[in-house]
Amino acid sequence: MENSIYLAISRQLALRNNMDITANNIANMNTTGFRSQHMLFNEYIEDPKGADDELSFVLDKGQYQITTAGPMQLTGNQLDVAISGPAYIGITGPGGQQFYTRAGAFQMDAAGIITDASGNPVSDAGGGQIIVPAGSTEIKIDEQGNVSNQDGQIAQIMMVEFENLQMLEAQGNNLYATDQAGIPAENSIMKQGVLEGSNVQPVQEMTNMIDTLRTYQSVQNLLSEENDRLRDAIDKLTQKN
Amino acid sequence: MRSLDIGATGMLAQQMNVDVISNNIANMTTTGYKKQRAAFQDLFYQNIDKPGTTSSDAGTTVPTGLQIGLGANTGAVYRMHGQGSISITENSLDLAINGDGFFQIDMPNGNTAYTRDGTFQLNENGELVTIDGYTVQPGITIPDDAVEIEINSSGEVLVAITGEPALQNVGQLELANFINPAGLEAIGDNLYLESDASGAPTAGNPNEDNFGAIRQGALEEANVNVVEEITKLISAQRAYEMNSKVITTSDEMLQSISQLR
Repeated sequence: MENSIYLAISRQLALRNNMDITANNIANMNTTGFRSQHMLFNEYIEDPKGADDELSFVLDKGQYQITTAGPMQLTGNQLDVAISGPAYIGITGPGGQQFYTRAGAFQMDAAGIITDASGNPVSDAGGGQIIVPAGSTEIKIDEQGNVSNQDGQIAQIMMVEFENLQMLEAQGNNLYATDQAGIPAENSIMKQGVLEGSNVQPVQEMTNMIDTLRTYQSVQNLLSEENDRLRDAIDKLTQKN
Repeated sequence: MRSLDIGATGMLAQQMNVDVISNNIANMTTTGYKKQRAAFQDLFYQNIDKPGTTSSDAGTTVPTGLQIGLGANTGAVYRMHGQGSISITENSLDLAINGDGFFQIDMPNGNTAYTRDGTFQLNENGELVTIDGYTVQPGITIPDDAVEIEINSSGEVLVAITGEPALQNVGQLELANFINPAGLEAIGDNLYLESDASGAPTAGNPNEDNFGAIRQGALEEANVNVVEEITKLISAQRAYEMNSKVITTSDEMLQSISQLR
């Protein structure tokens, strides 16, 4: 009998997760190389015994990343790189794991190793580190990711593309991990002195948020109406004439 | 609700962004100031359905999974050591470095500090000192009978003394450089200290190897680009507002729950 309440609750729970994902997108509006995420809802059909109609619950099945490029911001900093195209840059994690990122705001440490903002070394094409020798005055990074100083080439930054970008698992700190083997980039070029901003569309997120809130409230109304209906039914059916 | 906390992390990150931007704007006329930038990262993710989880006995897998991110944080605030523009002052003890390198300053506690600010003066003993009276390494003393001081692009300090036709060399300025200047620790007063992240200093003469040239009678201005800072300020403010909207919305959702009878 209370099926309508359970259906409404399934919607409420999914909406909450949706709100969390929207909140995360908005919180990362200014995060370099951030990819916004959106929720996928699914219908879950159940056919309970004794009921004439099938019930359709809401299930938050998964989410997908928006893979369009974020806005390119010119910074002029020689260790800032952005990728035009679908490729990701390889980052070696603290335990030697291979991560990938779109955030090309790199730095150099005391040994001249090029690292990301958290200090993880940027991988070269073979998975090793990129060490800039002392005394380098100007670092140039070309469109294929070759790093060079005034004396010539030092290394090539790992730039890889993937068959399925949705299989990249976000790790936080702008890093992604995946089991897929990266394919050396063919359709992407690297730009020095530019950073890729977050691809979050504020208008979309704000309307999404309003939509989530209003739907949540209308489901809430449905719940209280249902509550009233049940109470009425109990009152009327138990009345003695 | 996670979204309340996520909105809060977003607001904190933008607040930090505004702090960094306002410090840049406040120092837009500070001699030798180098601008800073906040780099943001996404916080970690909560896996509700891990991507690649098996979805049936036949071995099919979930293509995307369900991961909820927990907001944003500031990964690093780092300094950008790009060259600032050089303005001419015609004051013979104003020095600008055109290129890489730092002046080395003896601190009262015996440490060496590094600076790009070349607003030097003479103290009562004729020594070359900073505005705060700290000596510039290696100590250079200008004789009292000097009428003119010439500092050339290689950092040689030459003085003209009354009655002597030739200029007299009284010292050689040295510069220090680091493999990673962004890792220097700022201590205020335009001074930096060596840190583990900057690496050890390498000293050398100006205009040699990778060191910049000295320009007498000029000062290096801050490398802050005001237009860039103002646009960043606008975007930070709007992002802050939108994050506060997230909190209001989450609050309204919670409120509608509390009204449920």
